[in-house]
Amino acid sequence: MVRNREFWLVVASGLMLGVLGVLLSVWGNPENSGICVSCFVENSAGALGLHDNQRLQYLRPELIGFVLGSLLSALLFRDFRSRGGSAPLSRLFLGMFMIFGCAVFIGCPIKLLLRLTAGDLTAIAGVVGLVAGVWVGLKGLAHGVEFVPQSKSKANGGLLIPGLFMLLLLFFLVRPGFLLFSSQGGGAQFAPWPLALIAGTALGVLAQRSRFCITGSIRNFLLMGLRTPALWGLLAFIASAWAVNIAYGKFNPGLYGQPGAHLEYLWSFLGMGLVGWISVLIGGCPFRQLIKAGEGDADAGLVVIGMFIGGALAQSWGIAATASGVSIYGKISILAGFALVAAGSLAFRQRAAD
Amino acid sequence: MFKDTFDKTCWALLAISISALIAMLALNSSGEGKGAAGLGKAVEREMAYRARVELIGKLYGPVEMQRAAGKRQEALLKLDELIRKYPGEAHGHILQGQILMEMGALEESISSYVDGVKLNGDYVDKKSPLSRRGEIQKIVVDAINSVGAIAAANPDNRTLAATVRKVNYLKSRLAGGCE
Repeated sequence: MVRNREFWLVVASGLMLGVLGVLLSVWGNPENSGICVSCFVENSAGALGLHDNQRLQYLRPELIGFVLGSLLSALLFRDFRSRGGSAPLSRLFLGMFMIFGCAVFIGCPIKLLLRLTAGDLTAIAGVVGLVAGVWVGLKGLAHGVEFVPQSKSKANGGLLIPGLFMLLLLFFLVRPGFLLFSSQGGGAQFAPWPLALIAGTALGVLAQRSRFCITGSIRNFLLMGLRTPALWGLLAFIASAWAVNIAYGKFNPGLYGQPGAHLEYLWSFLGMGLVGWISVLIGGCPFRQLIKAGEGDADAGLVVIGMFIGGALAQSWGIAATASGVSIYGKISILAGFALVAAGSLAFRQRAAD
Repeated sequence: MFKDTFDKTCWALLAISISALIAMLALNSSGEGKGAAGLGKAVEREMAYRARVELIGKLYGPVEMQRAAGKRQEALLKLDELIRKYPGEAHGHILQGQILMEMGALEESISSYVDGVKLNGDYVDKKSPLSRRGEIQKIVVDAINSVGAIAAANPDNRTLAATVRKVNYLKSRLAGGCE
């Protein structure tokens, strides 16, 4: 396996994600949120005026970098294929619920590991939930669930999401009057934008080449055990993030007083469980959806749009959890998400007798 | 893609649209246009925020004066009235916490600070003009040293456990995070 080019690409992606995930926080991003796709989506939705939480409004250059880095890599390596057309509305809704799951946990699967490697032991419930969610999703696929079938067909919308993110980059540079930027709170904490954009783009390129994804790595590990290179990427991510956290004195093990964390373990478990399950159904975690959208996958593009809608609603409707705990709306959104996924799995399943 | 008249017309339209777009953006990002763009939502919001800070100063000015004159009980009564009148405003809770702290009521003071920070996180921000980060940090350290030890010795005491939870909440907010 170590002679395999794919193995080293995945390990490099994991290493870079871990190192930059902590460094971006050192350079100015909120604590343990050097990279957090769901937080970035919520921040960016706020900057575009899609929600009114004045403390979470900033068009995150990292997010733009992920998509444009993926586009750049796909074009350079002739990997760009405009494709899509499978269950678009289902994907849109699943994208929304994936962000609700992240918002209740307070973070995407990448931030989950960044929190854990910074010593936040409350994240353990999320890790268990994510693995359980991926496992349930895999069981569903093995039993013929085709909620959102993979599409191989050509579509003409593959360039729209990269185009949208180019427009967002233009907005970020020109700063038109309608764009909102927080002056207090998490949205006012950010790394210098050239660094953030370069880091995002580099990660976009690497992730496009390696297909690295947190939930995908867990899925492959559950399917293939230690033989999967993705597992080693995941371990490289954890080891590098942990090492950099220690190097910068950011490793504070404990359950209490952790930044951006709450003590409602059941809801952390369920939130990440929902994210894991949905990720298996739609082929990747929130980060992977951005990368796929960058390389021409219009289906992933619709998930990204759903993620933005979800990010806006998570803040506007008070779904997002805070350090004080999970709101009733957050709990309802998670249960509604599970109901949707379970109903979809029942309704769109190829049974033996079919 | 450059065969007939329709193709050529489309290419021409595309070129004109993009050129016009670039020209418009360039013109608006420099000179007079910039002033107009600057008066966007962000500036309006900043002005509203400053006005709110001033209003808070005026609204709670009498309480601050009573507090400065050592009339803490009167100040607390006035604060009760203001908190009932403006239930979504955090400043009353923060002032209540400060006064209770001066009176030596640590647990009640922590509860007030928690209520205030839950309503408005600006009080734990370094950059905010409303920031009370320093004093909240001090209270958390004091509480961990005093209440934390007593709570550890009395694990069945629910009141102490609730106070420890509140201290942990403040500690978590001080630690930062995307919230």
